[in-house]
Amino acid sequence: MASNESKERAYRKLESSSLLQQTMFRYMLEAQAASEEGKLAWVTSGFPVEIPLAMNLGVSYPEQYTAVVGSQKVGPEVCGFAEELGYSQELCSYARAGIGSTDRPDDSPLGGLPEPQVLLACNNICGTVLRWYEAVSKLTGAPVFLLDTPPVQRRQPSHHREYVRTGLEELIDFLGEEFDTSLEEDKLQEVASNSTKAIDLWTKSLEACKHKPSPLNCADRFLAMAPVVSMRGKEHILEYYEALLNEVEGRIQQGMGAIRDEKIRLLWDNIPPWFSIYKFFNGLAKRGVVFPADTYTHAWTGSLEGEDILNRMVDIYSNVYLNRGLRAKVDKMAGLIEEYHLDGFVMFSVRSCKRYSLGQLVSKDLVTERTGVPGVVIEGDMVDSRLFNEAQIETRIDALIEMIE
Amino acid sequence: MREKVGIGIDVGSTTTKGVVINSAGQILASSIRPTGASANDAAKAVLDEIEEAHGEATEQPVVSTGYGRKLISIADREVTEITCHSLGVHHIFPDVQLVIDVGGQDSKAIRVGSEGRPTDFELNDKCSAGTGRFLEVMARVLDVPIEGLGPLALQSQNPCSISSTCTVFAESEVISQISSGESPEDIAAGIHQSMAGKIASMSKRVGIAAPVVATGGVALNQAFVEYLGKSLGEDISVPQEAQFTGALGAALLSIQ
Ligand code: SF4
Repeated sequence: MASNESKERAYRKLESSSLLQQTMFRYMLEAQAASEEGKLAWVTSGFPVEIPLAMNLGVSYPEQYTAVVGSQKVGPEVCGFAEELGYSQELCSYARAGIGSTDRPDDSPLGGLPEPQVLLACNNICGTVLRWYEAVSKLTGAPVFLLDTPPVQRRQPSHHREYVRTGLEELIDFLGEEFDTSLEEDKLQEVASNSTKAIDLWTKSLEACKHKPSPLNCADRFLAMAPVVSMRGKEHILEYYEALLNEVEGRIQQGMGAIRDEKIRLLWDNIPPWFSIYKFFNGLAKRGVVFPADTYTHAWTGSLEGEDILNRMVDIYSNVYLNRGLRAKVDKMAGLIEEYHLDGFVMFSVRSCKRYSLGQLVSKDLVTERTGVPGVVIEGDMVDSRLFNEAQIETRIDALIEMIE
Repeated sequence: MREKVGIGIDVGSTTTKGVVINSAGQILASSIRPTGASANDAAKAVLDEIEEAHGEATEQPVVSTGYGRKLISIADREVTEITCHSLGVHHIFPDVQLVIDVGGQDSKAIRVGSEGRPTDFELNDKCSAGTGRFLEVMARVLDVPIEGLGPLALQSQNPCSISSTCTVFAESEVISQISSGESPEDIAAGIHQSMAGKIASMSKRVGIAAPVVATGGVALNQAFVEYLGKSLGEDISVPQEAQFTGALGAALLSIQ
C-alpha cells in the first residue's frame, strides 16, 4: 500500500480557507446591504479606506472583483464588453473588466458589483484608476473623488505631505456632504486600531515564511490577503487572521511546508495570473518550487497607530510600493530575497499594469547584481488570458530552475 | 564491451536534430529533418536515423530539448534549449561567453558561466522578426531561394535601410523599395542588417562579452553573421555543428 506521504498532494490546502470564504461572503453581503441603503463606496486598492468606514459607509473593491472575473476564466469575455464600448485592448484589464461588468452586470460573474453611490480613487497605485472610475461614473452616475498622492522618489517633501493631508480633509468634507454625516474621532480611532491589528497579524503570517520550509506559498497569500485589502478596519476579520497565523505557526512547529517537498525558494514580483493561479503555482510545487515571498501581498503593511491618524495615513498611503521609484522597488526585492533566503526570482511583466511592470528589465539586472541570484521575466496578463502563453512561460521558468539546480 | 554513448534530440519549431556522442563528447552520428506536423514522428525518425548511422541500437537515456521537448514520447528527460545550447557550445568552445542562437521561429541570447551553465538569457519567441522566418518571408518577396538570400546580400556595397522591425511592415517596405528601383543586392543586405540589429539589441540585454558564438540554422548564413558582428562590434565564431549544438548539449546531459 502506498504510504500517506506519497499519496499526499504536492500542495497543502489551508484549513483556515473555509473561514476565509465566510469572511468574503460577509463582505459581499455587507456591500449589497450598503448599496441598498444608498451608502456604498467603490474604492481603489490603495485608498485610505479607514475614512469611509469610520463614516459608516460600505465598501466594494472593483480590483478584487475583477480578480474574481480573472479567476473564473471569463476575463476575455468581460474585458470584451468594455472593448465593445470602444476601450482599447491596451487598457489595464482590471479597468476593462471593471467597466465591462458595470455596463453588463447580468452577463458578468456574481451579477457584477453592487451599485455604488460614490467612487473613491487614489492614484498612489496608478493614474488609470481615475479614468476607469470616471468611465464608471458615466455609467452609474456616482461622483468620483480623487485623492492625489504625488509619487515619492526619495524623501517626501513637506509640502507634498501637507497637500496629501489636505486631500484627506477634503475627502472627509466630500463624504460628509454626500451622505450628510460627519467623521467622529472615536470611530476613526477604533477603525484605525482594527486596521493596525489586522495588518500586524497579516505581517506576522507573511514573515513566518522566512522559515524553511515556507508555511505559505504564493497562491495562499494572494487569496488570504483579500480581507486585509478589502476589510481592514473591520473587527470581524481579526478572527480570520488569528486563525491563519495559528495555522501557519502550527505548520512551522510540525516542520510542515506549504508544499510537500520544498527544494527551490523563489520571489514573485507583480500581480498573479488569476485565471491560472492554482495551475501555475501548484504545477511548480510538484517540482519542489515554492514562493515564500512576493512584492504584491507585502504591499499591505504599515501601522496606523500614532498621535495623529491623518498624518499616519499620509505616510502609509503615499509610500505604497507602486508610488515609489525604481530604487525603492529594487531595495524591496533584494531585501525580500535576502531575508527570506530565496534562490531566485520571477518577474511577471503584466501587459495591463504599466505602473508595476515598467522598469522590470532594469531592476532584474540590478537585483541580480545585488543578491547574486538569477531571475527571469515572463510576460502575460492577470485577467486577460489571451495574453498569456503557457509554453513560452514554461521554457523561461524551466531555464531559471535549471540555472539554480 | 559496448562503448557508452549519449543521445540528444532537439525538437525545434522548424527542424528536428539528433546526435549520438561517445564519452569523449565526439559526435558519432547526427541527423536533421523538418519537424513537420508531428514533433513525435520527427523525433522518432531522427532517433532511428542516428541509431542506424551509429550502427547499433543503444539503451542510453534520450534527453530532449527544443520547443517540442515535452511533446515526444521517446525522451527520458527534457531540458530547455537554453541549458542545452549553452552546454553544447561550451563543449566546442570552452571559452565562450555569449551564445546567440537564431532558429526558424525564435532567437535567443545566452550568457555562459562556469562549466557551460547558463547564467542569464533573453528569448524572442513571440515575434517572427529576428528569426529565420523573417528571412524566409523576405526571400519570397525578392523571389530568390532562401539559400540565395545571404550570398545576394554579400554582393552589396550599399545596404538599403529597412526601418520596420515588424515582419509584416518590413515586407511592405521591401515591396516599395523594389518598386522604387533599389537593387535586390542592396535590399537583401538591408534585410540582414535590420535583422542583425534586432538580435544585437536583444543580446545587449544579457551583456555582450567575447568570445561570441552564433548557432542555429541562420548562423550558416554568412551575411547575417557579418552584420551581426558589425552590430555587436565583436568577431563571431560559428561552429561547424551550428545546427546541432542544442542536441549536443542534450547528449552531454544524457551521458553524464
Ligand atoms: S494599471 Fe496596475 S495599478 Fe492600475 S488598476 Fe491596473 S493593475 Fe491596478
